[in-house]
Amino acid sequence: MSEETRELSEGHAEEDLMAAIRENIKACMQCGTCTGSCGSAYAMDFTPRQMWRMVQLGMVDEIFNSRTFSLCSSCYYCTLRCPRGLPLTESIHGLKQLAVAKGVAEKKGARFYQTFLDTVRRYGRVREMELMARYFIAMKSPVLPLSFTPLGMKLMMKGKVSPEMPQFFRPGKLDGIFRKVKELEARS
Amino acid sequence: MRKKIGSALVVGAGISGIRSALDLAELGYQVKLIDRAPNLGGTLTQLDYQFPSDHCGMCKMLPLVERDSSSQYCLRKGLFHQNIEIMLNTELVEMEGEPGKFEVTLRQRPAVVDPELCIGCGECSRVCPVEVADEFNAGLAKRKAVYLPVPHNIPNNYVVDLDSCTMCGECEKICPTGAIDFRWEARSQFKILVVDDELIVRDSLKDWLIEEGFDVDTAESGPAALEKIAKQPYHLMLLDIKMPEMDGVEVLQRAKDMRPELPVVMMTAYATVETAVEAMKIGALDYLMKPFDPDTLVPLVVKLYENLERAGELKMEVGAVILAAGFGSFDPAGNGLNTYGYGEIPNVVTSIEFERIVSASGPSQGKLVRPSDGKEIRKIAWLQCVGSRDMHADADYCSSICCMFSVKEALLAKERSNGQVEAAIFYMDMRTFGKDFQRYRDEAEKTYGVRFQRSRVHSVEQKELGGDPRIVYTDITGTGREEIFDLVVLAAGQRPPAGSDVLAETTGVELNQWGFCQLKPFSLSLTSQDGVYVAGSFSGLRDISESVIQASSASLRASGLIHSKGGGLAEASESKVAFRDVSREPPQVMVALCTCGDTFTQAVQIKEVESFVSNLDSVSHVHRFGSICTQEGWNQLEQAMEASGANRLLIGSCMPYLYTRKLRDLGANIGLNPALMEVVDIRSSVFPGNNSSQEQASREIRLALSMGVGKLKGMDPSVSTGTPIAQKGLVVGGGIAGMTSALGIAEHGFEVFLVEKTEELGGNLRHLYRTLEGNSPQELLEQTISKVQRHPNIHLHMNSRVLHSHGRVGRFITTIEKEDGSGETLEHGVTILATGGKEATTESYGYGQSDIIVTQHQLEEQLHSGQIDPAELGVVAMIQCVDSREEPRNYCSRICCSSALKNALYLKEQNPEIDIYILYRDIMAYGFLETYYTQARQAGVIFIQYDVDDKPKVNIENGRVSAAVTDPILGREVVVETDLLVLSTGIAPEGQGKLAEIFGVETNQDGFFQEAEYKWRPVDFLREGVFTCGMSHSPRNITESIAMAEATAQRALRILASERLTAGSTVAEVRYSLCSLCEKCIEACPYGARWRDEDEEKIMVDELSCQGCGSCAAVCPNSASVLRGYRDQQIFSVIDAALEEIF
Repeated sequence: MSEETRELSEGHAEEDLMAAIRENIKACMQCGTCTGSCGSAYAMDFTPRQMWRMVQLGMVDEIFNSRTFSLCSSCYYCTLRCPRGLPLTESIHGLKQLAVAKGVAEKKGARFYQTFLDTVRRYGRVREMELMARYFIAMKSPVLPLSFTPLGMKLMMKGKVSPEMPQFFRPGKLDGIFRKVKELEARS
Repeated sequence: MRKKIGSALVVGAGISGIRSALDLAELGYQVKLIDRAPNLGGTLTQLDYQFPSDHCGMCKMLPLVERDSSSQYCLRKGLFHQNIEIMLNTELVEMEGEPGKFEVTLRQRPAVVDPELCIGCGECSRVCPVEVADEFNAGLAKRKAVYLPVPHNIPNNYVVDLDSCTMCGECEKICPTGAIDFRWEARSQFKILVVDDELIVRDSLKDWLIEEGFDVDTAESGPAALEKIAKQPYHLMLLDIKMPEMDGVEVLQRAKDMRPELPVVMMTAYATVETAVEAMKIGALDYLMKPFDPDTLVPLVVKLYENLERAGELKMEVGAVILAAGFGSFDPAGNGLNTYGYGEIPNVVTSIEFERIVSASGPSQGKLVRPSDGKEIRKIAWLQCVGSRDMHADADYCSSICCMFSVKEALLAKERSNGQVEAAIFYMDMRTFGKDFQRYRDEAEKTYGVRFQRSRVHSVEQKELGGDPRIVYTDITGTGREEIFDLVVLAAGQRPPAGSDVLAETTGVELNQWGFCQLKPFSLSLTSQDGVYVAGSFSGLRDISESVIQASSASLRASGLIHSKGGGLAEASESKVAFRDVSREPPQVMVALCTCGDTFTQAVQIKEVESFVSNLDSVSHVHRFGSICTQEGWNQLEQAMEASGANRLLIGSCMPYLYTRKLRDLGANIGLNPALMEVVDIRSSVFPGNNSSQEQASREIRLALSMGVGKLKGMDPSVSTGTPIAQKGLVVGGGIAGMTSALGIAEHGFEVFLVEKTEELGGNLRHLYRTLEGNSPQELLEQTISKVQRHPNIHLHMNSRVLHSHGRVGRFITTIEKEDGSGETLEHGVTILATGGKEATTESYGYGQSDIIVTQHQLEEQLHSGQIDPAELGVVAMIQCVDSREEPRNYCSRICCSSALKNALYLKEQNPEIDIYILYRDIMAYGFLETYYTQARQAGVIFIQYDVDDKPKVNIENGRVSAAVTDPILGREVVVETDLLVLSTGIAPEGQGKLAEIFGVETNQDGFFQEAEYKWRPVDFLREGVFTCGMSHSPRNITESIAMAEATAQRALRILASERLTAGSTVAEVRYSLCSLCEKCIEACPYGARWRDEDEEKIMVDELSCQGCGSCAAVCPNSASVLRGYRDQQIFSVIDAALEEIF
């Protein structure tokens, strides 16, 4: 219910975006090439083909409850291979945008993106150490960091991660750009 | 023999071209049949088996009446028809004039090997040093530069492929008959002018070319060259581009002013290639790249010489042109994507290549082994829609035949391996839309275990480098899978034939957006250019059956045009030849031996052969001729025959099949029935390389000759006078098919009775208001009805039904009953059954329980009447394949998917807000219909596939209708609350059974008319003189029904056009003194040509219907049934002759 009210209060932009995504994939003939080509499909709860079907059938809630689109790594294989020439990766981007706008972003799948974007906003680049730390905090799981320990060690030994002081109180370096994007998104 | 005024050109000698040519030839037109390939048969030469029969049957296209006008053996091997002139290696290069009177220019590539002289011994090929990929085996094997295009042709002449030939001349030296001629001596007459400012170029070119036998002159500058050209003509000028004083382009211009016909070839360095291309625009023939080396330059010049001097151009006048240009194949490696690794990964082949692998004439003699490493094939994947239904390959169309093609190949693989091969077909929709296709597919799956995997495979990888192909795909539930196969077969889609744009430009026909020939609405043969018709896959890929129908439709249209322009079917005044009656003379055989120059006198003891032959019983004369194949030799033979007074002729020479036409002419000249002449092959016994001794060769020749004499002396000399024909037609059924065939016959000047049981013409067409393509069926209906009603040759019998019919081809007597109960008797020579079909009714899915559950037909009707208003609809659901594609109605009705698409698109167009759900099993959007399937999806129609074992469930509650269906992709049930539920119930037969009984023809298990043969005789019944078209044969759309109706008219005309018809020399007879009337022969006859005459107490044979198969003779216990030309004593004396030599 809460989602529906938010959708209404935030105007038509989202509906338009969803309609545009539907329009994009209308010509889909469910051949499954996208799923067969997707490197992340094994980890998804719905395969890409299933997700496009859900878009066609208007199953909005289930789409945004799934982590399918958030697992997309934008390799563009599906777009390249789709026999109908549909802009699938672009449509996934649309779904990601919508998810953020809908506030579905509180969900676990989106936390990485949020943390990532927030570090970019702040420093104009990614600070690996801080991204890692904040991601682990956001996930609220004490076991998670442990599973990454070997990778962390490797990265540290190669000098890929350098500790730096976080700067919480200064204005972010890309604040302006992010503000503008938000304005544009609201308008479109 | 019949001879009609008028001629036609058929471009392309594949199945469609041959069909069209035979059609027109049977009507008596002179037909020129050309093909740019060196062989007949088109793609079919590479395919041994056809679905759904899994055998060939091409010969069934040959004439069934007047059979002696044509060759009567395997059509794959060759075709001779007295009215067809075949020109191979030939292209249409120019067309002028108007419909009914075109002047066409044909260009034939030079033939280095003289087909008249080549005896096919193969010595040339043995010595040829060149090896290139063999097109016949789709590149899987190698051939020489002098080769046989098709291994089984008759006569099989070698040809030289000038593109790969190095002109070494070895073949010319070894040819025993002097058939190969590079014409070295003629080259000294060929003057070449070399113009270059560099002395070294001039001199070396001159040396090289003089060595090749040409006459070469040189000039060191432009002005000097022009001076020489002004003085004397040259045959070729090789012209440098970059020269001081005057550059090559200017020289070219001036030279062309002086001598416009002079062929000029530019010589250029890499830097001036663009200039050379410019020069070609102003008249240069070609350009050669510097630096030269003699090995490449000389063959190039020789090729130019061959093309200039020896390419024959022929201008001729024809009334109509039929384009049967065939199709090209999608090259999976060609579009830069090649995700299937074709040509890179070993063991990825195309379907044509696979066809060669399983063919007995293929590279592995039909053994199922991989061409790459010879490993036995045990697991094969077929990937469908390669280059079809793919936007990346610019193909928003379906290639129509690949689904069935792959099922057939899978079954062949199963059969070849005793079921050992694992066969999997990866597909999106299995398009089994043709008659009996669905059962064929089901049988493949259930009986033979072919796996059908609904999944589009994107790419093929390798297990390891050079290893087995690996396929990664997702099944319908979304589970990723990986499989290793021995072989991957790509069902490569269709492309327009090479050179189709040039052909279109030459003939003025329009092409569609994908480059195929554009058809006019409601026709499968009319192009945008009047007088030019299209047959076969040039207008979209078709299987054999439909190509044959379309080809006959084209020939009917062509014939109609020639007829309307005054060409007509009127017989030219050529008196019928009266043969001498020799039935009271004892057999006297003249034996003519061709010694082929002096080959025979050296190779065999010719004297001894001669004396042996002259001692044979019935042999009255023996003559020796130097070469019968020459005109001179033939004249000598004719004189000798006339002088001898013999009444049988046996010729011993090479290639017996070549003589059909010659013997007919000879018969006409000397007044002897050609059935009393025979040619036997004595030449192959003394082929070079046979290494047989003189003694052996002589024995073989004696054997052949004495068998020939044995056959001839027992030959029945009586001459058939033919059967009189009632030159009127009967068409039963006044729908669009019936009306079209009636018009087709009437427009050729013959009377037709059109019998319709209702009070209105039009049949199902009356209830159709739109087509997918946006044409108006009602307009078509109105025009056709008015044409039918106005035509003086059409006699309409409305409100009438057929009660009874007897008689046979040439003369049927049919009684019809009118509404008032009165009867009328009609006499006609042919019968066409076009009674149509009807939309099936159903009890499934709650039909009848709610007003909002309708059939597709009703939806169209109610949309037209305004009873349904699209604006008031919110949700529409359609269910496809209602009660069909499962037993007992296990066939696809072919038109329901396009009807659903049509109605859905119309609804969306009227009200884009409607949600439309189409629940389907496979969308049968074959051919260019695919693009409407795309449009429907783009318009927002949602397609949900369902399984036949889990059908949609319809729920009706308080007037609300909902349909629940399991979406296979999500794996869960989707419920559609709908305002309208539309059922595609398909087409059911309508009263075919009763008519079949009346006319003595068959129906199939579904109640549709059973044609003689699905592929090759799709509109004939086995019973000659009765034909079928339209939906009474099988479900089909308006255009397809019309094409089929035109084909039946064409088939009917071939009988109606003559006052008398003969069958052929080989027909069955009954010897009444021996006949016990057991009637076994009547049962055995597959053509219904026999019946018992109760009044005479005799078994009668209808000569025209009899095809001379001999079944009756085989079953007859008393030898009362005999086959003319194969009587017992004849065959015994042939056997005796054969055995005598052995023992």
